[in-house]
Amino acid sequence: MARSRAGRLLETGALPRTAEVVIVGAGVAGLAFARELAARGVRHVVIVEREYPGSGATGRNVARIRAMQLTEDLTHVARACQAKYDRMAEELGFNVLFYRLGYAWVLYDADEVERMRSIVEMHHRIGVASRLLSPDETLRRLPILRGGEPVAGAVLNDDAIVHHDAVVWAHLEHLARTSVRVVPNTAVHGIVRDEHGVAGIDTDRGRIATRAVLNATDGWSTELNAMAGVTAPNRPHRREVLVTAPLRLSIEAAVTFYRPTEGWFNQTLRGEVVMGVVDPNEPAGVEQRSSWAFLRRTATLMTQKAPALADVAVIRQWGGMYDISPDHLPLVGPTRQLDGWWQANGWSGRGMLLAPYLAELLAERFVTGTTPERLAAFDPDRFAPDEASETSGDYYARYARRSD
Amino acid sequence: MPAHRIPGSPAVAPGRLVRFTFDGREYEGVEGEPLAASLLAAERPILSRSFRFHRPRGLMCSTGGCGWCECEVDGVPSVRSCRVPVREGLVARGEHAWPSVERDLLSLVGLASRWIPPTFYHHRFLRPRRLRKRYLDVLRWFGGRGRLRVGDRAPSRGRPTRRLETDVLVVGGGRAGLLAALGAVDAGARVVLLEAEREVGGGWRVETGTDRGPGTAAELAAGASAAGVEILAGVAAIGWYDGMVAAIGDDRHLEIRAGAVVAATGSYDRVPLVPGADRPGVIAARTVTALIERYGILPGRQALLVGAGQELTTAGERLARAGASTVVGPVPTASLVSIRGGRRVSGAVTRHDRKRERHAVDLVVCADRSPNLDLVLAAGATVERRGDTLMPVSDASGHTSIPSLFVAGSAAGRPILGAGEADISREAGRAAAVHATGRIGQAEVAGPRQPSPAAAASTSERARPGTSGNGHVRPMRDVARGAMVCFCEDVRAWEIGAEQGAGYEDPELIKRRTGALTGPCQGKYCLQSFACLVGAGAIPTARPPLRPVRLGDLVASDPEGRA
Repeated sequence: MARSRAGRLLETGALPRTAEVVIVGAGVAGLAFARELAARGVRHVVIVEREYPGSGATGRNVARIRAMQLTEDLTHVARACQAKYDRMAEELGFNVLFYRLGYAWVLYDADEVERMRSIVEMHHRIGVASRLLSPDETLRRLPILRGGEPVAGAVLNDDAIVHHDAVVWAHLEHLARTSVRVVPNTAVHGIVRDEHGVAGIDTDRGRIATRAVLNATDGWSTELNAMAGVTAPNRPHRREVLVTAPLRLSIEAAVTFYRPTEGWFNQTLRGEVVMGVVDPNEPAGVEQRSSWAFLRRTATLMTQKAPALADVAVIRQWGGMYDISPDHLPLVGPTRQLDGWWQANGWSGRGMLLAPYLAELLAERFVTGTTPERLAAFDPDRFAPDEASETSGDYYARYARRSD
Repeated sequence: MPAHRIPGSPAVAPGRLVRFTFDGREYEGVEGEPLAASLLAAERPILSRSFRFHRPRGLMCSTGGCGWCECEVDGVPSVRSCRVPVREGLVARGEHAWPSVERDLLSLVGLASRWIPPTFYHHRFLRPRRLRKRYLDVLRWFGGRGRLRVGDRAPSRGRPTRRLETDVLVVGGGRAGLLAALGAVDAGARVVLLEAEREVGGGWRVETGTDRGPGTAAELAAGASAAGVEILAGVAAIGWYDGMVAAIGDDRHLEIRAGAVVAATGSYDRVPLVPGADRPGVIAARTVTALIERYGILPGRQALLVGAGQELTTAGERLARAGASTVVGPVPTASLVSIRGGRRVSGAVTRHDRKRERHAVDLVVCADRSPNLDLVLAAGATVERRGDTLMPVSDASGHTSIPSLFVAGSAAGRPILGAGEADISREAGRAAAVHATGRIGQAEVAGPRQPSPAAAASTSERARPGTSGNGHVRPMRDVARGAMVCFCEDVRAWEIGAEQGAGYEDPELIKRRTGALTGPCQGKYCLQSFACLVGAGAIPTARPPLRPVRLGDLVASDPEGRA
């Protein structure tokens, strides 16, 4: 309950003058990294947060924790990430409501089914028990789709959701029992550099001297990188969500479809339906306001796919940021551009899934100085200088093009 | 027999009796009266059960705002039954209860409510892992409210979009909105007025059938129409999207761009912040008057009047005239200590000086109001706390901190009681017209427009949505621990205090931890109490839509069309 075993959940007193590591951003990435550092005995870790913990993409998340992915590399990592969530309740003493709701990619075109056949084979090869369903099976498992656009099938796996805010609270309450200090309502204005690299950060509440800074600001990472004179190709794009009044259990699994454009919906444990349809032309830039076009786009496509959804009452909508990298994989690790500058951003919409596990690998890297094998793929300096992130942000379309 | 139809009431005579069912039992009602009223007259005051503790809820606001009367109607989940005209053969069912909303065994969980804080789930069933899944299966089973009709359904028809440009958009067709529209037209502006209801007039006098004599809302509406105001009734404003106001009517979507917008959106009832105030039998004064005047239904025999003002006086008079045996009060809201009862109100306790008094009543009539801030907050305008009420910050002509947004009438904290307030509403319309057109009547405004005083630097008592209060806590006076702050999520005052005590002091964190402000009423009925309880800056980010909308009503025939 609210009774916290915490010394202090949030640091509202004086700003620490020095720190061994400063983490900028108290979202899932920053909090998880702090947890892993503390577990490895690193003292004097300070998290600086512009607003409140979880106020960025973490708190605007629908937190689907999916092991099945479109590529083999990512599926390997995603399985480890999912397992990390499955253990989180025991490890942190806080039930983050990890729940295997089931997850379906619903397919509408024959070519999608063909492509998925090989992806399902790949899943089976590496131990993910996804299943390709026939159209009839799809409608039996997901009656919500009845009467809608005819389906060509679905790929179903026993994937999960978590309570995104609970992940933040679990970490906060855990960190309060460590030496990590979480400082909210503090904005970073500048990065101090000297001949050795990073020397500190300047905030609106004063300076913290440090030799290591982690940029865990995802949608705002470009801005922070710029302060440090570091370049990275990831760019922020808005994603929007709407939520309905709670309903009794009516949607058996989380659904994602990619045709004609990417859309998704699922029911939370409380029964609310969350959903969204992506705008493939969403321009780059930080923009968290909601749009009317999103409401109409989502309603129009969703009721074509699942006509019964016409009766749900929308009570709230919001926007959040995806920080999209050219290959839609995050930047996790130190950059060679500036000593002491660490990246954990560019999550490309997968931060909730990937961050806790990759934070573990990153902390390993930080403490030992050697890069764990699984972390190598996320090297922040892997991009060519002119590589830009695709504005469409449609991973599936890119994947489809690449495999054609 | 708490509520019943008033014998010989003229309101009953002209209607046709129709039969409908609720939870499988058949009832009679008068065709066209609200379903919630028919059920009240049929002695079925419990219409819904609250989400967490299955507390009984009944007809309260009668404006479709509070959501206490939500039930399934003809297969559509969570319909606000105070807005559903009853008709022959209608089938309604209670939701989120077992076996029925009247006798809901799940309400037994309320006995343990003291030990079930909102974050209860996060500290239970951590081990063994196998049981954790089962535990969440059970939670999921008990969650949810309405039942979605799943099956072969035809896809919804898309609505075309009308894009509209005008000088002044008035949102709300009550007295204040009509006067503002008239003021704007007089100043030479093109004016569009939106009214969510089928007919303009708004306000409690019209709703309760007590709008009589010269200067009625109907006369104002006729005047506005004649003067050239485009009145769009049955069109609800859904959101403020970067200055564009989106709205939905029966057969179309509207995207309205105006040089200036006047929010004349009225007010919400303020349910007293005392324990027990959510019981069936706590009813807004305007609902009480409407039940008696329009539908010939006496909602209770012994009534306690809480609050002050003309609405309450009128409700008291009507109750006495309609045969209520006791009408106590009015007593000031601050003197109310608690409302007692089980499934219905059976009493209330007041305190005067140090003397506590218990009243045996079956009806508590409340009349406090607070401004409808929906549009004001959606636009990001500054609000301030005056006493225990948040008000939009505005200058003498209703100009807010947002250059193109004005407020009028109750939404500005200036309900129209007489000629003085009427003139202020007119002035808001005129000022909006000047802002939009740069003209006063036919004459150009000389020089640049003076900035509104409302736009001046904010004080600590002022806040914009989404700006968090940085631990600045100034609690409201004397709030009982058990007072219900948020009705959708059953959040009590002590639970908010507990979160603050645990270090979750940011209003956004309190919102997320308790669920306050996130339920189906969208914070309309708890924002005021929440903000005053948590501190001056405590206004979490405003999020559209301005009112709940069915997904089917948002379907567009040209969804990608952009203005």
